[in-house]
Amino acid sequence: MTISTRILTVDDSASMRALLNHALTSNGFEVAQADDGVAALEWLAVNEVDVVITDINMPRLDGFGLIEQVRGGTRHRDRPILVLTTESSDEKKNRARRAGATGWIVKPFDTEKLVAAVRRVAH
Amino acid sequence: MTPEEIQQIFFVECEESLAAAEAGLAACQSGTQDGDTINGVFRAVHSIKGGAGAFGFIELQAYTHTFETLLSDVREGTVDLTDDLIGLLLRALDTLSDHVMTAREGGSAPDDAALIVEMQAAQAGAASAAAPEAEEAPAAAPVAKVDDTPLAAQDSGDDGLDFDLDSLLDDLTSDFDQPKAAEPQGWDVHVRPHAGAMRNGSEPLLMLRELVELGGHCTHCDVGSVPSLDQFDPSQGYLGWTFSMPAEAEVDAVREIFDFIGSDCTIAIGEEGMPAAEIEQAQAPTPPAPPAPAAPTEAVEPAKPTATPAAAPATPPSEAAAPAPATPAPAAAPNSGSAASAAGQSIRIELLKLDRLIDLVGELVIAQAMLVQRLDGAGITATEELALLENLTRDIQESAMSIRAQPISSVFSRVPRILRDLASTTGKHVKLDVIGESTELDKTVIERLGEPLTHLIRNAVDHGIESAEDRIAAGKNPEGTLTLSAEHRSGRILISIADDGAGINRERVLAKAIEKGIVAPEAQLSAEEIDHLIFAPGFSTAQTISSVSGRGVGMDVVRQNVKDLGGRIMIESKPGEGTTFVLTLPLTLAISDGMIVNVGDQTLVVPLAHVLESLRPAEGDVKALGSSRHMLNVRGRYIPVLSLREALGANSGATSPEEGVLIVVDTESAGQAALLVDDIQDQRQFVIKSLATNYRTVEGVAGATILGDGRVALIVDVDGLVACALPTQERQAA
Repeated sequence: MTISTRILTVDDSASMRALLNHALTSNGFEVAQADDGVAALEWLAVNEVDVVITDINMPRLDGFGLIEQVRGGTRHRDRPILVLTTESSDEKKNRARRAGATGWIVKPFDTEKLVAAVRRVAH
Repeated sequence: MTPEEIQQIFFVECEESLAAAEAGLAACQSGTQDGDTINGVFRAVHSIKGGAGAFGFIELQAYTHTFETLLSDVREGTVDLTDDLIGLLLRALDTLSDHVMTAREGGSAPDDAALIVEMQAAQAGAASAAAPEAEEAPAAAPVAKVDDTPLAAQDSGDDGLDFDLDSLLDDLTSDFDQPKAAEPQGWDVHVRPHAGAMRNGSEPLLMLRELVELGGHCTHCDVGSVPSLDQFDPSQGYLGWTFSMPAEAEVDAVREIFDFIGSDCTIAIGEEGMPAAEIEQAQAPTPPAPPAPAAPTEAVEPAKPTATPAAAPATPPSEAAAPAPATPAPAAAPNSGSAASAAGQSIRIELLKLDRLIDLVGELVIAQAMLVQRLDGAGITATEELALLENLTRDIQESAMSIRAQPISSVFSRVPRILRDLASTTGKHVKLDVIGESTELDKTVIERLGEPLTHLIRNAVDHGIESAEDRIAAGKNPEGTLTLSAEHRSGRILISIADDGAGINRERVLAKAIEKGIVAPEAQLSAEEIDHLIFAPGFSTAQTISSVSGRGVGMDVVRQNVKDLGGRIMIESKPGEGTTFVLTLPLTLAISDGMIVNVGDQTLVVPLAHVLESLRPAEGDVKALGSSRHMLNVRGRYIPVLSLREALGANSGATSPEEGVLIVVDTESAGQAALLVDDIQDQRQFVIKSLATNYRTVEGVAGATILGDGRVALIVDVDGLVACALPTQERQAA
């Protein structure tokens, strides 16, 4: 038997979360949602996850802040984290990588690319 | 959730984002230009852009891109936030709001060309020092760099070396591609992860597996660098692999696999059988490679730009999708000050579920009243328990109502935009003061408040506030002030719209009303009555019909809208000092105030919003008109008397005005009338039940409600009843 991949999506936009949720659940992933970095950390404190997908611009704690906290902790330190970005410039990618992101998803995403990116990093 | 539903969420978010951006810019305007505030504005626009892209609103996306880019520069401090720029940003926000409207409701997109040019100019003006770089469109056409004179032709000064390499590599690629196209053959990819390859949760093994999925197979594993066991560091990369790929496998697909890992893994693609070492030598990860080797090999710089699907306009190099890395605070202060950060913890509920809850609470209120009455009838006194139940019921009712309640700021926040529009059409600049914007009221009321409020504001600026010249002549500040305020008062909400203009010109209003035949020339009216004439249907005082107020909607419609909400509107005007419109509205539409009256054996409810006064006529107050009609003399004016018994076909009850009580009501379509009832029983709140959904529409009846004793009482549709019961000529005679 296979256990489905658990994904935490972090975005302050409810429509973006809904889109991600729709795309991921229809491809057999298990999806949890958080609306900013702080909510994501609270969720991660008591849940297990395989992949985190996070937006960058969010109130309270942004995507980079979230990655920093996750990488600095112990429990989810080695979890793959994908960032959602509207830009695909090298500068952006390098910055995401430097900040500790495993990879990125360029918005607007199509479902195929999204799923491929998740599969690429899911251990 | 269907894609359409998700799209609806997006539009709701757009509204929130627009309001947040508006509030943020307003804060900037009043001097609060801290990072949080500016970032809040940026984030709002950024979030609209993200959604626009996701839902395929191309024009909206393109426009927000320019807007966002400018905001990003403001945030980074490369563009100064001057008053002029705030003005530009506010105008840009207005157009953004129009764009969102177009995306939502269709139609042609607003003309944004001039604004885009202005925004780009604002940006370029500040960034002119770095201008040459901005010419370079990222991700647009990397191939276009192939050039005969690579170094001389371009002015990319500092990175001449990279450029040289790129063009050479492009040349190499084309050389390499040709034979491949002619006779398809397999090719090799060499993979060598470095020390950092396991960082950030990356797992190179997964990437190798993906190569296998593309049809590749591992032909060689280079173990030459593996140290002795005592020097072995598991976080280092010691192995290199060579995969043989089939001809049909695409180079781009392989590149994409290694896109994420960046410079932490060297990838080299070459002809089948090329020694790995030779290729890797050519592309050490960090230092720029020397002019490419003669070998027919394509070196793939790990983070080579790939074309993006979104054809984005030129992006300056400084924009960034996130604040400086230093900023993220683990626990941001709960009150970060910026208006846009008020996201909070919330859930979205379908409105229907909420309405059901409100409905049930209404039933609970009734059930509780019934219980009280029944126990009372049975002589059981359970005062304490009943008081407890009553308190709990009231608390539940209030909490349920508060779920539907929203701060009035969602309506008030649109006002600055209206004033800006008005400033450009009328030339009158008006300062806005807002008081009590956090006052909460029912969502439905808020939704239906927008239109009358907009009209009142237009009216205030157009008719109330004088032109700058007139104001100076009158010794006033050339800039007018409009004060909006909202407050709760005894279970209702009071909204006032006050201007500091000239006040109502009563002589002109009266003259106009006489001219229009609204009042008789000899009528003696108090100042207050004259003021209220502006609400008469068909009244308009504008000497020239302007595009602002004279768009066919009169103040009578405003009054009707307010009345439909169960509210009232009043005017206070002082010549030379200004006019204040005061709206009194119920906090909710689900529960209204009503007068419980008896007509024969029927109990009826007359909505209090219509009731002006009730009286027992003295002898001589009522004059007969013909055989069956009566007119009531109210302080010198005659209004028709309408017997509810007759109107509703009840078979008993007072037939002549002297036997009963007259309730003077005000109606929109038919003016004032006096309703004849037997007596008034009570005045209390009632829950409206629609007759149309439970039975069918009945003329003259607005709905039904359940009384404390369990009986059903009909709610009188005062407007409809008076309009259909009184012949037109009779009303005019009045």
